Amino acid sequence: MNALRIVIADDEDLARSVVREYLKDSIDIEIVAECRNGFEAVKAVSELKPDLLLLDIQMPRLDGFEVLELIERETNVIFTTAYDQYAIKAFGVHAIDYLLKPFSAERLAEALDRARKKIDRGEPTATAAMAADARPPGTRPDRILIRDGSDVHVVPMARIDYVEAQDDYVCFRAEGKRYLKQQTLADVETILEPARFVRIHRSYILNVDRLAKLELYAKDSHAAILRDGTRLPVSRSGYARLNSLIG
Amino acid sequence: MHPILENRQRLTLYLLAWFPIAAILTAVLRRGFESWPEAALVALPMSLLYAFMCLSAWYVCLAVPMRDQTTLRLLATLSIASALSSAVWFAAGAVWALAIEPWVDLLPGLSERYNAQFTPIFLNGVTLFLLAAAVHYLLVTLDASRGVEKRALELQVLAREAELKALRAQIDPHFLFNSLNSISALTVSDPQGARSMCLLLADFLRTSLVLGAKQQIPVSEELRLVEGFLSIEKIRYGNRLSVERSVGPECDGCLVPPLLIQPLVENAIRHGIAPLIEGGTVRLDIQRAGPAIEILLENPIDPQGTQRVQTGAGLGLENVKSRLARLFPGQANVNVSRDEDRFQVRLRFPCIRLGETQ
Repeated sequence: MNALRIVIADDEDLARSVVREYLKDSIDIEIVAECRNGFEAVKAVSELKPDLLLLDIQMPRLDGFEVLELIERETNVIFTTAYDQYAIKAFGVHAIDYLLKPFSAERLAEALDRARKKIDRGEPTATAAMAADARPPGTRPDRILIRDGSDVHVVPMARIDYVEAQDDYVCFRAEGKRYLKQQTLADVETILEPARFVRIHRSYILNVDRLAKLELYAKDSHAAILRDGTRLPVSRSGYARLNSLIG
Repeated sequence: MHPILENRQRLTLYLLAWFPIAAILTAVLRRGFESWPEAALVALPMSLLYAFMCLSAWYVCLAVPMRDQTTLRLLATLSIASALSSAVWFAAGAVWALAIEPWVDLLPGLSERYNAQFTPIFLNGVTLFLLAAAVHYLLVTLDASRGVEKRALELQVLAREAELKALRAQIDPHFLFNSLNSISALTVSDPQGARSMCLLLADFLRTSLVLGAKQQIPVSEELRLVEGFLSIEKIRYGNRLSVERSVGPECDGCLVPPLLIQPLVENAIRHGIAPLIEGGTVRLDIQRAGPAIEILLENPIDPQGTQRVQTGAGLGLENVKSRLARLFPGQANVNVSRDEDRFQVRLRFPCIRLGETQ
């Protein structure tokens, strides 16, 4: 039997140490990394490809669900938290178990047992898409999470100037920086706040707060001039949408 | 609700009061009649009748409530009502005298003697009616003031219940669970530390329960609670949490509502320090500003953080605001400011010392 390779992600030293203590004598378990925040967890999981992630939910910068959203490979997850209100959401991302702190060594062993069985059967595991879907309906994320190798960028929605489609990717422009993410522009459109972001063109979504003026440069054809001078093409239907939003 | 008819005890007392009145009326009528039995034969039934007639004084109370009528109107109404009822009463007495005259052979001319006494009977009737009206007014006022008192008491109970509920909500269960988890971690690696955390937690819980039951406590006691809370959180957060505090010496005797500062410190840690990878410093500054006490609490926030973390802080702050507003109507000030990376709460309210009243 191969040792189960585990990553522990929790921002409290003592919370990690209790897990370490519980697992100290298990020969079939190897703790490959301990992470103190969401960024470290994303990095550790992508680099070390563990069999199982013990994940706290309330962590600095990225919470547990955001970590899952950013991890592009399928990962088995056991949540550990003092909060019971995320249990349904955890079920939605196919978490193997949901441990309420403080938990006993037996309870952890039971969860690990379950994980081992699940891995042996090859059942589906938590994925990024599920984590995104697990967000309560009607709420939108207030920031965009972008992986760049093992780095993670967190871009608040309000700072996005515009989004541009580029082949299989979308490019977020915010404060002079560009962030590439593998996604379709249509998907991006669904998560952006409709009161602020408008699809002005097949390839562009604009934050209307950045719009300086609209120029007519050919019959039926407009260009949006942003505050920083950037020119973006505006299609006919995009012009109509823009007009209906800003009146 | 009739103030006398609705209450058996009052009705009994009222009717008992009519016995002496009946005696007096007999004595008054005796002068115009031949004998005591003759006077009593007229006076007693008339008294019984009038006892019930006078209950109608309540309608005067209803028609002319004491508080929003002029004295003139009140006097006019009372005069008319008393004259009217007295006249009716006299007429009823006359009918009675006429009715019993042929029945009792001993009393020829009873009706005539009765009618001759119109003036004293009428005046008696007016006086009795006025007296009855006075009693009714008194009872109505008494009932009203009791009602007001009862409502005030009910309101007080409601307010206290709301306050208790708020207090209970303030002690965050997740704080408890996370602390217990820390203790569970320490039991093996550092049994001494585990014990001291148990003691700290017990002390904090006991103190917050004791203080929470009080109306006002000296600021020093609240600060002790805050210190207890911080020692627990320091064990959890380690060197991610540091605290800077300065308390002006002249603030010592000032009274504050219990569990006012501690929940704010808790918010500062939960929404300020916890989401920061490197943690940060919570600053607590308490100073006198003339007749007021000023409490400033400041914590760093994650510039890339999200709005969602502020809902909890908002609730805690609302709680603080409403408590201060209730305690110091128009004199308390709660000022919240936030920028990119700082969150600040400033409370200002009158400093009342022990033994002083507002």
